[in-house]
Amino acid sequence: MSNTLQAPPVVQGASAPRTAGGPGRKRSILARTRPWLLLGPALAVLAILLLWPLVRVFLFSLQDYGLREIVTGDFNFIGLANYGEIFTDPTLWTIVLPNTVGFAVLAVAGTVALGTGVAVLMASLGPVWRTVVGSAIMIAWAMPAVTGTYVWVWIFDADRGIFNETLQALGLQDEPVNWFTNRYSFYAIVLLNVIHHGFPFVAITILAGLLGVPKEMLEAAEMDGANAWGRFWRIIVPNLKQVFAVVIILSTIWDFKVFAQVYLMPGGAGSNREALNLGVWSYVESFGQNRYGFGSAIAVLLTLVLLGITVVYVRTMLKEEEL
Amino acid sequence: MLVLLLLGFTLFPAFWMLSSAFDAQAGSGGQQLLPREFTFDNFAYVLTEGGFDVFLRNSAIVAVVTVLASAVLALLASVAVARFRFKFRTAMLLMILIVQMVPLEALVIPLFVQVRDLQLLNTLLGLMVVYVALSLPFGIWMLRGFVAAVPVELEEAAYIDGATWGRMFRSVLLPLVMPGLVATSVFSFITAWNEFIFAMTLLGGATANYTVAIGLKQFFGEHSNEWGYIMAASTIITIPVMIFFVIVQRRLSSGLVAGAVKG
Repeated sequence: MSNTLQAPPVVQGASAPRTAGGPGRKRSILARTRPWLLLGPALAVLAILLLWPLVRVFLFSLQDYGLREIVTGDFNFIGLANYGEIFTDPTLWTIVLPNTVGFAVLAVAGTVALGTGVAVLMASLGPVWRTVVGSAIMIAWAMPAVTGTYVWVWIFDADRGIFNETLQALGLQDEPVNWFTNRYSFYAIVLLNVIHHGFPFVAITILAGLLGVPKEMLEAAEMDGANAWGRFWRIIVPNLKQVFAVVIILSTIWDFKVFAQVYLMPGGAGSNREALNLGVWSYVESFGQNRYGFGSAIAVLLTLVLLGITVVYVRTMLKEEEL
Repeated sequence: MLVLLLLGFTLFPAFWMLSSAFDAQAGSGGQQLLPREFTFDNFAYVLTEGGFDVFLRNSAIVAVVTVLASAVLALLASVAVARFRFKFRTAMLLMILIVQMVPLEALVIPLFVQVRDLQLLNTLLGLMVVYVALSLPFGIWMLRGFVAAVPVELEEAAYIDGATWGRMFRSVLLPLVMPGLVATSVFSFITAWNEFIFAMTLLGGATANYTVAIGLKQFFGEHSNEWGYIMAASTIITIPVMIFFVIVQRRLSSGLVAGAVKG
């Protein structure tokens, strides 16, 4: 892919070459504007529906944008007051940030650890079992976030869920427990859901990398007496640095903004404030309380965090291939 | 042993969804691993009285229109970035990559206002417009690789034979990037099919226009949830995604690394 890109675009136009500054020949207007004609429609859609809204959410965040403003379209700029309120709100420090960051750290660690483990396992399996495991994790991966979340909610349902019923049958608890009311058990379920949905991507990506590690290297290390653990850290990890970097950053981006997985759980839509994370907080302040300005400010903060992670991601990508 | 444990963890939710969907008494407590009373009634109810026939149709319309519109736009744009060198090209590619990481929570507030101002709230059209925009960056990013992989010599040969650019596009480039176009389309289909936050926000007031992703909430009651119906409906939603996943599974990882979308 990168090779074709590095090659200069020597496509010949019917009358003139398109390469910049073709040797002394004039390029027709059509040939010169063609890339922009091709790009135009897509750029227009992106500008109107992605870039302008991004600017707008920032503008909203500087306003007291509530029900009245949303109906009349009036401006009511209040400077950085929304941001001031967010940063002085204990909700941010005691609930939202720990939930968002703590969850992301655990989810990324869990996803990458399990995904790597499964990749190493799959690499050691014969073709039949590798196909079986591959198909199974594909099923976990393909499950839409919404239905996947409902299945986990059903498993942990307070009244009739199989988790509670199993614990009771085993005599581990007397009464069914509502696992969704406690903040930690709530996020433990989100964690299970997100890791279950996210590890297949990591496993498949790392497996592809593993299969590219020269067998001779591993065999040589084995002859030198390195055990499986040593071979993993000394050969596989250094060889797949780039792959690991990409899956870790992507998982971080995804796990920072889990929404449906929290929102759809009992109490997750704002009624249990202990369960709020940045994304859900922004949403419920906007659409639940009609405080669109305040919600926008939270959304801007979330965007900035993700932008920071994205910059790291883009730099990693750029190392890998030329644009 | 390790393999079996892994398979159990991986498959249990899907298995449990199916088992409950086919159980006549799902949600009444004391459920066994396999349905106590095997039935199709949950599916029948969901698709008739449950309104899921309508939600399925809505989702299909939204997804198909999204796929077609974004495929056309993304293909043209990807040819531009893969085949031409022009000012701001790299900057634009980076912008596309970055825009993709923007959390939907940030876009949903201004887009709600925008769609409302266009009087498209509670309409499928409003949702489609948003989905086209959401699937474009990934489409461009992914198709760009496919276009770049088509040997330039083939295009040159077409010109030598006297073809115009448009003719070359149709007869040389298009057939060769078709597999990429299929893969990209499957991705945007899955995105449109699974999407939740915009569907909930833009269609909130019109049950008749619900997509499958938000139609599920019909079965959540004030006091008890109809788990048999919810799981049957979940099964119906999941099946098309599973089928499409099989089609693109080989490209999934590389596509995700390049474009970073996730259902």
